[in-house]
This record gives sequence, C-alpha cells and structure tokens, in this order.
Amino acid sequence: MKLTVNGEAYEAKQAESVTALLEEMGIGGRAVVVVLNDEVIPASSRRICGLREGDCVELFRLVGGG
Amino acid sequence: MERKGKVKDEWIVGGHRFSSRLLMGTGKFEDAETMVGAVLASGAQIVTVALRRVGRIPQEDDMLGPLQQLKGITLMPNTSGARKASEAIRAARLGRELSGSPFVKVEIHPNPHHLMPDPIETFEAARILAAEGFVVMPYMPADPVLAKRLEDVGCASLMPLGSAIGSGNGLTTVEMLRLILRDARIPVIVDAGLRSPSEAAAALEMGCDAVLVNSAVAASGDPIAMAAAFAQAVGAGRNAYRAGLMPRGGGTALATSPLTAFLSVEGP
Repeated sequence: MKLTVNGEAYEAKQAESVTALLEEMGIGGRAVVVVLNDEVIPASSRRICGLREGDCVELFRLVGGG
Repeated sequence: MERKGKVKDEWIVGGHRFSSRLLMGTGKFEDAETMVGAVLASGAQIVTVALRRVGRIPQEDDMLGPLQQLKGITLMPNTSGARKASEAIRAARLGRELSGSPFVKVEIHPNPHHLMPDPIETFEAARILAAEGFVVMPYMPADPVLAKRLEDVGCASLMPLGSAIGSGNGLTTVEMLRLILRDARIPVIVDAGLRSPSEAAAALEMGCDAVLVNSAVAASGDPIAMAAAFAQAVGAGRNAYRAGLMPRGGGTALATSPLTAFLSVEGP
C-alpha cells in the first residue's frame, strides 16, 4: 500500500492499521503522535484506525529543545 | 526557631505553583544522561522540549524518556520551527498530545539568522492558544507594549529575551525589562541570551520572576556543575530582590566607618 509518511513516499507491506504501520517502521514502542490526513489520531484509537491507499501520515515526537 | 522570611517563596503561573525560578531547556546536550543530570542539578520544575518529525530510521537516543520518569517536572513543549501563527498552533496541539501538559512556549522566529521572535505572529498564536485553554508562555521581544497586549489576551507569563537565542550576549534589554516589570501582572521570565549565572542573578535582582536557560548550561564546560551554579545565582538574586537593595548613592560617597580623625587626641 502506497502511503506518504512524513512527506516521503512509503510502501507499506502489511500496515492495515496505524499500530501495524508503527510496528513495521520499528517505532511501535516510542512515544509518538500520529497525524493522519491532518487529523490527530489518539493513541487509544490507533489499533482500530485503518489505513487506505494514498493516506498521508505524519509522525512526531518530543526531542530536546530550548 | 522559624526565622522571619522563611515563608515559602512560590510563584504561580497559569494556576500552577512552582518554587524553582530556574527553567531549563533540554537542547544541545551531548547525551541524555548529562541532560538529566543538569536538570536535576538545576532544581528546575519547568523544562522545555521541542517537537520533531520522526525519522524513517530512528537514530537519536531517546532524550526524553528518562526525563519523563522524573517526578515534579512539568514539560513545556515549544513551537520552535514555526514561522507563522498557524504552524505554532498546530505544533502546540501536537506537543500537548505528546506531553500531556497544557504548558506551551510559543516561539515563532522566521529568520534563522537572528532568531528574533515575530511579534505579530506570536501575538496571534498566543491569543488563540490562550482561548483554547493552554498555559501560554510566549517567547517575545522585550517590548512593554507587546507585553501588555499578550497579558490582555490571557497569556500566563511573559518571556522577553535578554539577547538573541544562543548568543550568550547576556542581559542587553535591561531598560525594556524594567518597563515590562513595572506594569506586568503575570510572571516575567527572561528567556534567551544569558551566558553566566551573574546575569541570571541580575535578572532576579531587578524583579524578574524567573529565567530560562539552555545553551548557557548545555554548551558550558561542565553542564551539571553549571546548572547548579545557575540555581545558586537565581536563589541569590531572588533573595536580594526580596531583601531590597540599598538606595543608590546619587553620585556621592557615604562612609561606612566613622571619619573622626583617629590620630588626633580624643576630646577633653
């Protein structure tokens, strides 16, 4: 499935849900916020939130900053 | 015996009470261990963090995991990277989602050369975020007119700059800070530009409620020791402010010892 992840093309192998995508990307255990087509997906809904061809996913996390 | 003056010296921002008047940034540290050590040594209770897109292959260490384990620390995500109010508002909402904290440091600086805050975009973002219930702490030019306007739209504090971010040029805005302090009814925190603990002490002595430092600690020779030094300086400055500095001499000297001529014979 073709997605756009953080502005770049991404070919998802078996990412039917947001949770599956995060696991496939190796960031399943990280504290990230997921924005799907400009809408924030609460952590509690990731497992049931499906992905469709062409979806635009953005992932953010907190880093050190002043 | 309880000494007079031992009453709790707390300050309140957005309804939250804090005793530490040193806020710490978490950028530029070599590693997470040093950063956490510096935060602990500083005694800071409010710590800023930034928001970044997750890289395809996670390379950086998890800087914030250990920080989030510490008790008594309020995370304050910033909106660094935003060039317009709309971007800052979006960053603030994402930061809240990640941190679980209503605090936001609104930071909008479109020019990477000087990193001066955009007063118009900052005002607009602060107005909207305050209405949404955020505890808005705007990084701002040291401008008393803008300060009043930000206070009027519900900001929880004012964070005027001492000098440019990361410059280490110190408190170059003293005259404007005095004007801001004179009228502010919300806490005033000097944010950015400080280099030495004595500058932090000076800010507290003149009546600022707190200071926020990052580079001054992270880029110092020994960040953990420097964080402790800043904590002492902030304490000293605050104590001096509460004690009340002596009046200035108005250009004339006033002897501290009796000036009677000790070589002459005492009176009859």
